[in-house]
Order: sequence, then structure tokens, then C-alpha cells
Amino acid sequence: MTLVPSIGRELSKPPSDGISNLRFSNSSDHLLVSSWDKSVRLYDANADSMRGEFKHGGAVLDCCFHDDSSGFSASADHKVRRIDFSAGKEDILGMHDEPVRCVEYSYAAGQVITGSWDRTIKCWDPRAASGPERSQIGTYKQPERVNSLSLVGNHLVVATAGRHVNIYDLRNMSQPEQRRESSLKYQTRCVRCYPNGTGYALSSVEGRVSMEFFDLSEAAQAKNYGTFATGGCDGFVNVWDGNNKKRLYQYSKYPTSIAALSFSRDGGLLAIASSYTFEEGDKPHEPDTIFVRNVNEIEVKPKPKVYPNPPA
Amino acid sequence: MAKDPILQVETTCGSLLYKNQIIWDEVGETETDRDKMLLELERECLEVYRRKVDKANRCRAQLRQAIADAEAELASICSAMGERPVHIRQSDQSVGSLKLELGKILPELEEMQKRKIERRNQFLLVLEEVENITNDIKGQGEHVLSKPPIDETDLSMRKLEELNCHLQALQKEKSDRVETIRKHLCTLYSHCSVLGMDFNEVVRQVNPTLTDPEGPRSLSDHTIDNLDAAVQKLREVKIQRMQKLQDLATTMLELWNLMDTPIEEQQEYQHITCNIAASEHEITQANSLSEDFIKYVEAEVVRLGEVKASKMKELVVKKRSELEEICRKTHMLPVSDSAMDQTIVAIESGIVDATLVLEHLEQHISKVKEEALSRKEILEKVEKWLSACDEESWLEEYNRDDNRYNAGRGAHLTLKRAEKARNLVNKLPVMVEALASKTIVWEREKGIEFLYDGIRLLSMLEEYNLLRQEREEEHRRQRDHKKLQGQLIAEQEALYGSKPSPSKPLGGKKAPRMSTGGTATNRRLSLGAGMHQTPKPNKKADQRQVQVDGALSTGRRGLDVAGLPSRKQSMNPCEQLQSPLVRKPFSPISTTVVASKANIATPQQLVPNSKSNAVNEISSFATPVKNNNIIKKLEEEKMMMMMQTPKNVASMIPIPSTPATISVPMQTAPTPLNNNNNARFLPEKAEVIEYSFEERRLAFMLQSESPIHV
Repeated sequence: MTLVPSIGRELSKPPSDGISNLRFSNSSDHLLVSSWDKSVRLYDANADSMRGEFKHGGAVLDCCFHDDSSGFSASADHKVRRIDFSAGKEDILGMHDEPVRCVEYSYAAGQVITGSWDRTIKCWDPRAASGPERSQIGTYKQPERVNSLSLVGNHLVVATAGRHVNIYDLRNMSQPEQRRESSLKYQTRCVRCYPNGTGYALSSVEGRVSMEFFDLSEAAQAKNYGTFATGGCDGFVNVWDGNNKKRLYQYSKYPTSIAALSFSRDGGLLAIASSYTFEEGDKPHEPDTIFVRNVNEIEVKPKPKVYPNPPA
Repeated sequence: MAKDPILQVETTCGSLLYKNQIIWDEVGETETDRDKMLLELERECLEVYRRKVDKANRCRAQLRQAIADAEAELASICSAMGERPVHIRQSDQSVGSLKLELGKILPELEEMQKRKIERRNQFLLVLEEVENITNDIKGQGEHVLSKPPIDETDLSMRKLEELNCHLQALQKEKSDRVETIRKHLCTLYSHCSVLGMDFNEVVRQVNPTLTDPEGPRSLSDHTIDNLDAAVQKLREVKIQRMQKLQDLATTMLELWNLMDTPIEEQQEYQHITCNIAASEHEITQANSLSEDFIKYVEAEVVRLGEVKASKMKELVVKKRSELEEICRKTHMLPVSDSAMDQTIVAIESGIVDATLVLEHLEQHISKVKEEALSRKEILEKVEKWLSACDEESWLEEYNRDDNRYNAGRGAHLTLKRAEKARNLVNKLPVMVEALASKTIVWEREKGIEFLYDGIRLLSMLEEYNLLRQEREEEHRRQRDHKKLQGQLIAEQEALYGSKPSPSKPLGGKKAPRMSTGGTATNRRLSLGAGMHQTPKPNKKADQRQVQVDGALSTGRRGLDVAGLPSRKQSMNPCEQLQSPLVRKPFSPISTTVVASKANIATPQQLVPNSKSNAVNEISSFATPVKNNNIIKKLEEEKMMMMMQTPKNVASMIPIPSTPATISVPMQTAPTPLNNNNNARFLPEKAEVIEYSFEERRLAFMLQSESPIHV
């Protein structure tokens, strides 16, 4: 048996500066990548080809798909853009007062939701004509600058600086459904909701992940966590079994920090952005690359509790 | 002259006529009447003559006829009997009178008739006998003529001979059949005896008449065929059972061989196994192939099979534990239990052949042994490394123990151990390097990762290396800190006279010392701060500064590496105490080394509106000298504050809007929207902002794009 390169295939023509986020489409193996080189790129992960490049006015801090023909981007030039892949152009959906940090599209509500360092989140109508007067549906103040947000079903989770966490019901945005504080002691890095809609995972700069539930009742606490992947500044991608609280698998080390991860719609592919995330300030670093690897069931399936923990 | 009768008669007749004439004369008959009467008389006399003559004629004819008849009959009899007629009558031959002739023929005829009857009887006998035998042969129910037909026209000896031959043939056939049947019955009897079947029943089914040895038996083709068929069938059954028994015997022998069965057990079945190669006709012992017997042998074979299976199962379990043992010893992950349990169940229920499983296990074991052998060298090194690590941790503990140089029981032993441990620790990096390179070579050769209890050995070594680096850094920091403290104390002594050093974490400082400790701390910190801000032309200070910053950034790196959850945080709490006050210089913190009160007061100035925050702030500064636990808590706090150091960098970079937020907390302390129970973190928000990596990066990027001066 020969050693198979276990970090995955490198995508050609990666961005020329740091990668802020990457996402697989819900309907195909297209990959949308936002970068500090002020562009959003669309790739076909299987064919390893770049299908489009969209220049922005500032570093692009986040991106997301609407469908296979269009998507949205959040940029440091305060603008929220709508990108039409097939037509090959983009226009401005709306603006914040500060850099826009995150963007999500809610299929349940049919709205685009953005979070910004101006301490607000805004909801937009994706089909409206360009301009915030036309397209902005609502704006909601947050306790601090928004660092991350995530959607599942009708839930929206907003994580801000200062370890605040606001949970909204998209159907009633007038005030948060729950106001929480991260149970981790360090700055919140990322929040992601569980696909089954029961809760969310929070990660901090210390390197811990906490698993939370929307419903605080006893029964909810006992639900399954499922398996999930984390990527850290140590360059490792780990796959964890939430139930057993064990690491299931660790992929080989990537050249530099893991800036973003995305599973494809069927869970068969994992896209990994190996891109220095500036955690130690400006310093020389490995080139920014995107790896796409196949996911084996054995890497992500929870192991039965037969053996005691291997010394990790 | 004798008077012949006729003359006599005539005389008589004449006398009568004379008489008659006299009468007539007397009577007076006429001449005519006399004539008439005489005529009548003559006529009547003529009639009588005629009648007599006819009768004589008839008699003669009868005789002739009789002779002819007799001759004809004789001829026919002779021809029927195939013999020449004795007497052939020639028409012209006069044998004499007819009566003589008849007299001759009749006895002959009688003779021939008698002989014919005798002959005929003979025929009858033979035919009857033939009929009987044919009946016997053809069997009941066959239509046989009740009367045997005799051809009257052929009663010749030849024919009789023919019939006799036929009869003999039939008799022979009958006896043949009887013999055949007898033989079949014998064979049948023998087969039945061997097979343990009821002979009479079997025979009865063929033909009921055969069961009675005395009574008449059916000798028909049907019967014989049936009998033959029965014999064949039983023979086949015999062969079948014999083969089955021989197979069973063979299996038995195999199982005995496999399991080394003792001779006494085998003796019981000797009579079967001796026949293992026998042919059909050699097996004659009664009931040696009966169903019961075969079942009995089968049961024994099944029992032996079960014994084998359980032994196999034992073997499988044994082999499996052997496999597990090897894996355990060489720290390889063994086969999953559930698969093996399923296999065992399958063996028990006969689904899976235990021999196959055993073979498979053997192969697996030899493979694993091979792999274990190849791992041996590396494993030995791993053991050495692990024990060296143990000694290393022991040494760490030992070094932390302040009492270690106290002479006590076994102190010299621990001293020796410490020395050995130090040597070992010195060799550790080389050991690890050698182990890593050997592992890499091994992995390249084998094409698989070297796993130790499921974890890649190289990962373990890397983790260890990282830990080691951290530890070394921590040591370095501690040493620096100690040096720094020493200097501070020296300076203080120079300024104030001798004061006890507050930096010892394990000194068991009590509360009353708080303020002094706090003061000293603050002074120390502000000293650091001062040095930061007012660069003394003191090389040492600069070095310290560098070290401080370096330490800070190292610490930050330790924090920001977001991959290893269980990292030991070995930050020097006292150093970190510097940071918030380091920051304070941006605000109107006094830069003097001495103004302790001012230093203490400053935090309050910073957060004039959050009274509770301020208090917490101060107390948290004072407490670190209390005891270790609080230091640890503070470590974490300070780590958060560490996050704030980038502000140094950030503040040098004009961020379009964010700098404004820096100033805000200086004047007002915005109360956070939500009730934050962790008050100690509030001050951070209030006065310092934790920036995310992206914020820093953006600031840096904008600076490099369009540099703006502060």
C-alpha cells in the first residue's frame, strides 16, 4: 500500500492573498471562495477549474451561495454585494457603516442576513433593486461588533466581540429570542449551527469548542451532537464525535492555519482553506491554498464505545 | 334214403293238400273256388318264401355291413394311432364265410379300440399334467381351458412323445422357476436379515402365496419379476446403507485422528470400521445395516462432530486471545470484538466452518507477528522515550519542590535519581529525533503509518516536541522573571531598604500583605511600564523590554494557536499583570516608577462610571499575591488581556473608525447591553477592545496600502 497524499488535491488558481471563507453549494460541487485579495472566486471543485472571479472594492470577508447561479459577499468596504455567476457581474445590495464581516442567506425566510463591525445585523431582500432603501428589510443592534453568524431553519445565531451570543427567531426579529454569553472564556472565533437545528457550536481563540442547544430543557440536553470538523491555526483538521467527546480522526497537517472548512452537500468532499489567519500579526507564511479531499466514512463515523480512549 | 326235410315238408304239404281235398270234397267246394284257394295258398306260400329269403338277404347284408364298419373303424383307429392296420380286407379275397370274417375282425377291432382308449388316456394324462403345470406357471387368474383339447385324429405315439416332451419342458420350467424363486427368497432373506427388515412382510408384499412354504406358490412371470425387483431393490438399499455406513466410518476415523481419541473408545466401533472397504456381498451379518444401527452410528459421528466443534471453538478463542495479546504487547489495535463474537456464534450454529476461521486466524496471527517483529525496535525505543518522559515529569515536580535539598530519609536516593533524570532529559531531544527518523523510515518502507495504540507515533512525538518547547519557554520566562525580580528587589533595596520579595507564588502570603504586595507589584509593573515608555539608557532594561515583549508575543502565540485543546498554559502571572498597566500608559498613567498610589488610582480613573468594575479591577490586581489558585484564575484573565497587546500595534495603525472606540472607554465606560456576571471581563470591554484577527489584519492591510501617521 502506497502512502496516499492525505491532505487532498490542491485547487488551481487560488486567491493571491488570505482566504476568509469558502463554501460548497447546496446543489452542486461548486465552491465559492472569498479572499483578502478583494475577490470572490467560484470554482468547480471536481473539475478543478475556476468558473468566475469577481473583484470588489475591499477585502472580502465572507461569501455565501444563493443558488448555483448567484451568491452574496460581505466586504471590508462596508458593502453587501449580490453576485450573478452566469452573467458574470455583481451589484451592491446594501451597505453597513463599518466593514461587513459575515453574510448568510436564509432559505426559510428568503432573506440575506449580514453582520458587521458597526454592531448591527441587517436583513435584505435579495431580489430587490440595488440600494439599501429598497432592499433593506431590517437592522438590529448588537451589543458588540459581529464576528460570526449562522443560520439553521428559523434560528439565527449571532456571535459578537465580548463573547455575546444572540439567538433570533427569523420570524420575529424585533428582539432576540435568547441573549447568552459564550460559555468559553476566550474571544469567540466562530459559531455554526447544527444541521439538525437543535443548537450550535461555538469556538474560541483558545482552541475549545462548546456545544449548545437552543432549547434549554432537560430533554434537549440529551440529544445527539453528531460529528463535526474543526480547523485550527495549528494547521490540523480534526473530526470529532460530539457524543463521545472524542477525536475521531486527524488529517495530516496542512501548510498553515486552517482559515475555513466546508463539507459538500453530500458530505463526500471537504474543502480546506489553508491560509494564514493573522493570529500572530504580520509574518511570513505559506502560500494560501485550497485543498479538496474526499471524506471517508471511517473518518467521520462515530466509533462504537469499545476501546478506552487512545491517549490523545 | 333219408327224407330231407324239404321232402318231408313237401310230404307234409302233400298230405295236407290231400287232406284239403278231402275237406273240399266234403265241403263241396267248387273247382274255381278250389283253384282260387289253391292259388291263394300258393301265393301265400310264396310270400312266406319270399320273406324268408329277404330276411336271409338282410342278414347277409348286415354281416357285410358289420364287417365293413368294423374294418372302417379299425382303419380309422389305426390311422389315428399311427399304426398300420393289421388286417386289410381285400374284396376278392375270400376268407371264408362272412361270419368267419366278422369273427376275425371283431376281436381285432376290440383290441384296437382298447388300445386307442389306453392311448387316449395317456394323452389325457399328459395333457392334464401340462395343463396343471401351465396353470402353475401362468398363475391364478390366467384363463386356462378347463378341458385340454385332444386331437382325436392324432393319437400317434409321435404325438404322444411330443406331448411328453412338452410336458417335460414345462416341468423343467416349473422346477426352474421354483428354483429361481427359492434362490431369490434366499437372497431376499439374507438382505432382510442384514437390513433388519421383516422377511415375511417383504415376501408377502411381493406375492402372498410365497410366504407359505408348503402351499401352492405362484410361479408366474409377474411374481418372479416382482421378486427379482424386490431383491434388486433391497440390494440397492443395502449398497446405499453400506456406503453411508462406510462414509460414517470414514468420518469417524478422521475425527478420531483429528482429536486423538483413545483406543478404548474406538474399539466399540471396530466392527464398523473394519468394513470400511467391504463390498456389498461381504456384508452378511444380521442387522449390520439396519436403520436403527445406522442411526446409532450417525449419532456417534454427530457427537464426535460436536466435540470437534467445541474444541475448534476453544481453539478459535485461544487463537483470538493470542492475537489480542500480540497486538496489546506491540500497541497495535486488534480486530474488533463484535466481528469475532459474531464469528463464534456462527461457528456454534454451524454456519461457518471453524477450520476456515482457524486458518484465517492463523494467517492473521502470522501477519501480525511479522508486523510486531518489524515494530519491535521502534517499540523498544518508544518505551525508553516514555520512561524518559516519566522521569522528565518527575524531575519537573522535583524541581518545583522547594524542600528538595532538605536532607531527609532517602534524600540521597532522590538526588541520585534527579541526576540520572537530568542526564536522561538531556538525551531526550536526540532520543526523540532518532525515534522520529526511524519511524519515518519504517513508515516509508511499510507504506503505512506507525500507530501506537491507534495514534500515529509521529503525531505523538510532535506533540511532545511542542510541549517541550512550551515548557522550555516557560522555564526561560520564569528565569527571566526571577532575574527581573532580583533586579527589582535590588533596586528597591537601593531605594527603600530591604523588603521581602513578593514574587514567590508559594510563599503563602497572607492578606495583610496585600497592599504592600500590591504596591510592590504595581511598582514592578509600572517599572516595566515605565521602561516601556521612557526608554532608559539601560541595556538591561531594553533587554528586559525585549524579553517582555518577546514573552508577551510568545504568550500570545501560545494562546492563538487554536488547535490543541489541552495545552498547558504556563504563563507567568506576574508578567501578565504588566500588560493592562502597560496599556495604561496610553491614558494618563504616570510614568514614574515610584508613584504607587497614582498607579493604583489610575484604573479607577479609567472607569469612573463603573464602580463595581473598578473595585473588581483593583482587587483582582491585589489578589494575585495571595495564593496560587487566584493566580491561575488571573492567568486566564490576563490571557484575555494579552489579547489586548495587539493594540500596541493597532494603535500605531490608524484604523479609520476603530481608534475612536479606543478613546471611548477612556472617558465613559459603556455598560454592556447584557448583564455580564463575569465582572472581571467587563473592564476589558470597557477600556480595551479585544480585536479579532480579521480586524487586526484589516488595519494592517489599510496601513500598508495608505500609510497614515498617528
